[in-house]
Amino acid sequence: MASVHESLYFNPMMTNGVVHANVFGIKDWVTPYKISVLSLLYEMTTSKIALQEKRRLNKLILPLQQGPDLQLGQFLKTVEDCCPQTAFAVKIRLNEMADGELKDMEFFFTTLPNPTFDSEAYKTSVVGLFIRHMLLAYNKLSFSQVYKLYKSLQHYYHMGVPTFVADDSDMDLTSTEVTIGDKMERELDSPLTFCVRNEDPVSRGPLSQKQAEYFLAKQAYLLKNDDNKALRPAKLQEELNNMLKFNPDFAEAHYLNYLNSMRVQDIYISTHSLLHYFDRLILSGSEGKSNGDEGYGRSLRYAALNLASLHCRFGHYQLADLALQEAIRIAQESNDHVCLQHCLSWLYTLEQMKGSDSSVLTEDSVKMAAHFCLPYLASLGIQSLVQQGAVQGKSAHELMDALKDTDILHWKHSLSELIEISLAQTISIWRMYGKSTMAQQQAQLLLNMSSLEPVNFGVTQNNTEAFAVALCHLAELHAEQGLYGGTTEIFKHLKEQFPPHTQHAKLWMLCDLKIQFEKHMNDGKYHLAQPLVPAIRAQNKTEGLYRKAQVLKSLSRTTEAYRILQKLQVHCEKTRCTETIIRVLLSTAELHWESSDFSTGLPLLLQALTLSRKHHLQALASRTLLHLAFTQLMLGVPEQALSVLHEALEPILAHGGIMDKGRALMLAARCQMALVATRPNGREQAAVAIHTLDEAASYFSTLNCKERLRDVRYLQARLHSSLGQTAQRNRCAMLFHLLDRELQTPRAPTDMRL
Amino acid sequence: MGLKRIQFLGAICRFCSVLFVTYGVTEFGDLVQIKKQLISVISLCKERGLVHSVKWASELAFALDPLPKDELPPSHLVSEEDVQDLDAFALAKSYFDLKEYDRAAYFLRGCHSKKAYFLYMYSRYLSGEKKKDDETVDSLGPLEKGQVRNEALRELRVELSKKHRAGELDGFTLYLYGVVLRKLDLLKEAVEVFVEATHTLPLHWGSWLELCNLVTNIEMLKSLSLPSCWIKDFFMAHIYTELQMIPGALQKYQSLIEAGFSKSTYIISQIAVAYHNIRDIDQALALFNELREQDPYRIENMDTFSNLLYVKSMKPELSYLAHNLVEIDKYRVETCCVIGNYYSLRSQHEKAALYFQRALKLNPRCLGAWTLMGHEYMEMKNTSAAIQAYRHAIEVNKRDYRAWYGLGQTYEILKMPFYCLYYYRKAHQLRPNDSRMLVALGECYEKLSQQVEAKKCYWRAFSVGDVEKMALLKLAKLQEQLTETDEAAQSYIIYIQEIFSCGEQLEHVEVSTALRYLGQYYFKNKLYDEASLCAQRCCDYNDAREEGKALLRQISQVRDQTETPSGELFVSLSDNNTPIKRVSPLNLSSFTP
Repeated sequence: MASVHESLYFNPMMTNGVVHANVFGIKDWVTPYKISVLSLLYEMTTSKIALQEKRRLNKLILPLQQGPDLQLGQFLKTVEDCCPQTAFAVKIRLNEMADGELKDMEFFFTTLPNPTFDSEAYKTSVVGLFIRHMLLAYNKLSFSQVYKLYKSLQHYYHMGVPTFVADDSDMDLTSTEVTIGDKMERELDSPLTFCVRNEDPVSRGPLSQKQAEYFLAKQAYLLKNDDNKALRPAKLQEELNNMLKFNPDFAEAHYLNYLNSMRVQDIYISTHSLLHYFDRLILSGSEGKSNGDEGYGRSLRYAALNLASLHCRFGHYQLADLALQEAIRIAQESNDHVCLQHCLSWLYTLEQMKGSDSSVLTEDSVKMAAHFCLPYLASLGIQSLVQQGAVQGKSAHELMDALKDTDILHWKHSLSELIEISLAQTISIWRMYGKSTMAQQQAQLLLNMSSLEPVNFGVTQNNTEAFAVALCHLAELHAEQGLYGGTTEIFKHLKEQFPPHTQHAKLWMLCDLKIQFEKHMNDGKYHLAQPLVPAIRAQNKTEGLYRKAQVLKSLSRTTEAYRILQKLQVHCEKTRCTETIIRVLLSTAELHWESSDFSTGLPLLLQALTLSRKHHLQALASRTLLHLAFTQLMLGVPEQALSVLHEALEPILAHGGIMDKGRALMLAARCQMALVATRPNGREQAAVAIHTLDEAASYFSTLNCKERLRDVRYLQARLHSSLGQTAQRNRCAMLFHLLDRELQTPRAPTDMRL
Repeated sequence: MGLKRIQFLGAICRFCSVLFVTYGVTEFGDLVQIKKQLISVISLCKERGLVHSVKWASELAFALDPLPKDELPPSHLVSEEDVQDLDAFALAKSYFDLKEYDRAAYFLRGCHSKKAYFLYMYSRYLSGEKKKDDETVDSLGPLEKGQVRNEALRELRVELSKKHRAGELDGFTLYLYGVVLRKLDLLKEAVEVFVEATHTLPLHWGSWLELCNLVTNIEMLKSLSLPSCWIKDFFMAHIYTELQMIPGALQKYQSLIEAGFSKSTYIISQIAVAYHNIRDIDQALALFNELREQDPYRIENMDTFSNLLYVKSMKPELSYLAHNLVEIDKYRVETCCVIGNYYSLRSQHEKAALYFQRALKLNPRCLGAWTLMGHEYMEMKNTSAAIQAYRHAIEVNKRDYRAWYGLGQTYEILKMPFYCLYYYRKAHQLRPNDSRMLVALGECYEKLSQQVEAKKCYWRAFSVGDVEKMALLKLAKLQEQLTETDEAAQSYIIYIQEIFSCGEQLEHVEVSTALRYLGQYYFKNKLYDEASLCAQRCCDYNDAREEGKALLRQISQVRDQTETPSGELFVSLSDNNTPIKRVSPLNLSSFTP
């Protein structure tokens, strides 16, 4: 039931959205700002301006004419920068109108130069068209509309020039030009006064159409490229609500609302806004266009597709699947191949997310996309294929070739986003292969690359997923080399760039946790590492389980650790997560060592070696070799061990992390020690071993890994003792003793660990 | 205190209507007193130009027995200030009645009496509203459309809030203050002020009505502390209707009628609307007919009446109503809606849409017209216009389930079953016990091959009382598809029972489908007696006759072969707790049409 007042009196002329619907076609309305522009044009045609200044003004016309409505202060300042004299004249003219009477405005419109063939403003030129448009629009206005326009002009003028002639409003302006001029100059001396008010364009209530469009475009751009610089979610929501209250037909605002609620992970509002947007779009699509039906059906298809992507984003794969099926069906019915291609690429993404193999789909998608000349989708598909290929152990050169080919495509079409992804992918692949130098170099390349996209609103696009991935890799690389200071810096940056509530924040969160975990494990502070396990598990289940097993192993809760590792291995074999399988195999072998059962570990290690070689995972292969060598050493074949070790030593020293380097060198020294007795040049061997241990010690001390350092000192002391170097022996023994006291935990038997 | 009282009331209306009557007697015992109060409030409102409240109170007063001459309430006490302002007030009131609000306000500006002050503020408010509506026509651009505002509101708010803080506002000015706050979208404050207004002047129906529009859910209603006055029962009944709590509303109205307001056209119309809301069409129609007899020139609520006639496809009645209303006043929203319905029933959808548009021109906030226009566009297969209309309806009122449902239907027509799920769900949220949404949801799920969900929807639709009697049939067919034979058979049995028990012959085709299936089912389960019964019933229907006969032949063949009575088998089967036993098919004979 309508409220009591709504129907209090009867007004047949009352209008509503329906009646106004046809009005929406007209975009050109006379606004106070437009009057200012008109007066500028008028001044330019009538008065004499120096050539230099005239040129600058000419350059200004187009942006002023087509840009959003400006505040008077801003407008005058822009003009003033080009030609102060004209700005002054424009201001006087506006002042005449605003502080005069309605007839002054009417007079202004009658004196406007009528664009003809011979005048400066040529009839069909941009300026001529604009003036004619404005005249037409003005002449169409009804009496009350003209009066309203005049009122808003006054308001506009006084908003821009707040203090001006408040005291002498009834002064005859034309006769006392001198005094006014003085005042003007005074005003113009301090142009800042114009802009002091309304610095913040959004808080000032209703926006004009252009301003609203500009606001939306800017915020949408910022959301896409760097949402830290966009308005805060709550504030933006408030603005949008405000805008929608004034004009519910502004469909784009709903879309921005959708983006904004995605930002804060609000599924209800985002779904609602998305659907609302498309409902609105369907209206505007069907209106006015000659191929109305086409545009209308099209937006329907994309509506369904967007819904699918929304559900995908929130992890509702089943719903996403249903929505996608629907989009595909409608697209098929209307033979929209482009839309179908988009659907297909979503389909394989969805399959991938669900964890099933989608390479066939992806290949199809790439082929079709290439056929329909959709470079973006094609290379996106190739990238996805490369990713799958890398996981499945395709040969490296194939992958790199594919990436290179797509890169050529990207540069050709200036698809900067894809270039970034491609670089990030290269980083990941190099890292996976264990080539840290290459990965580092690519990461630097990405981070130092200037974006191809034009820099709008002072924002370069650097909060995409690619950047997050690159930075995470970089952080891990730093951590591997024991450069924890650098890692902290990187994380600080990541935290600023990707605040915890944003989409890509999970990447660095997991990375951060992993690094912390590793650090604590290296330091032997298992009690600190343990609480991190649930956190890791929350981010990534497999990773969490693996870490849990590691902690349990370190705490000598062997049975539990073994059970978890077995479970993990089965799971990873199912999901074909090779890297984790290898790591699990290595850990299982280590567990066997704990019970001095070295030979049982051998088949596991060999399996790991085959796997890692097959997948070109050099880092893991080297680590496996390390384990193998250790096993051999323990089984009493140090010579074999040393030869195996030599195979691994080179890549480890070149690419490996500092921990691996230390461990490898220590193992090498131990092999050498074992050989001392058998070799004829025993003393030399021992000296070499001491030297190797020194190197290992330097690595361990960078990591501050005291437990291993203690082992090194012990070995060194024994070597020195065997060589009869008492002084050195005593020094090492003392160092050992100091470390031992510091650590308090009893030393594990050195023989038992790598 | 007040809260407790309301909860108490709620408990009563839920559990015991007998108590209600006694409660009513105590409250309404003194109808004479009520009549007196009404008469006095009528004159008060009349002086202040609150025409709608006057109308409501007068309607109610008319329904009560006339008072003897000596019992008429004395005219109001005239204060010193009133006397001073007498001339200015009379002048201003005359201008006010002529809708010259600015002029009225001008002459009232110096007055001090409360009455004059109210009229002064009220004129300013109305002047602002009038200008706002006039401005809308003259806006300077599309974006300006929404920016047109009642400029007077801010000033009024400042002045009124000052007086409010000083405690100088009487019931009427409090009401005006509330209206101003509501217009400024300060809803929370508005509710508080309206509650205060009802405490100060409980007899002013306008405050209650405004409160009604602001209360969005039952929890909010319970949290309000309202004055205990007989008028509160009217309020509660009204708000129960608004919040779709129809049984509660009906009980309230019933008790009001029993308390002595049986002649009130207001109550009759409200009850009719309530019945309309729960789709009890026959009851509603009867009440509306009664209403038209009592008040033949009534236009209010006639759009609802026409909706009912439309649903029942009563062409002549609708035509008569439309012509009658046009004679009374053709420029009324209700009239336009009735004509729109009339054209729609005659399948002249373009004309229907035109009349709904006219209704919207008369009042753009007329919710029903937007939705109905959407339906018309749907009929014309103009889906985009339909979506526009529905969206407008939702903008006016987010809780309009018809518009959500309409949007869902539109997308269903566009073959987007997943997309329309959202809209149907919205509609279902608003009307959890409406089977139509549930059936629609079920159909969508079925199209998406989510049979489990679909089955749930259909079953729920049946359990909340299926209006169209289609849910069970759909459920049975779905179960048939899923080869859940026993469940399907049971669903068919309940379906047939339902169809026959409601007395009407809906669609023969579907009954025959059910019978055909049941026949085959019993045949397969070797329950030949039941099978032959079903087959015989099948023969009553044209489309299933041949199959029925074929089945009968088969049965007799099998019986000839076996020659053994199926009695034992039947007993053993029926002991197995098969669903068949629950409803013996022999019961069918009692439902024979």
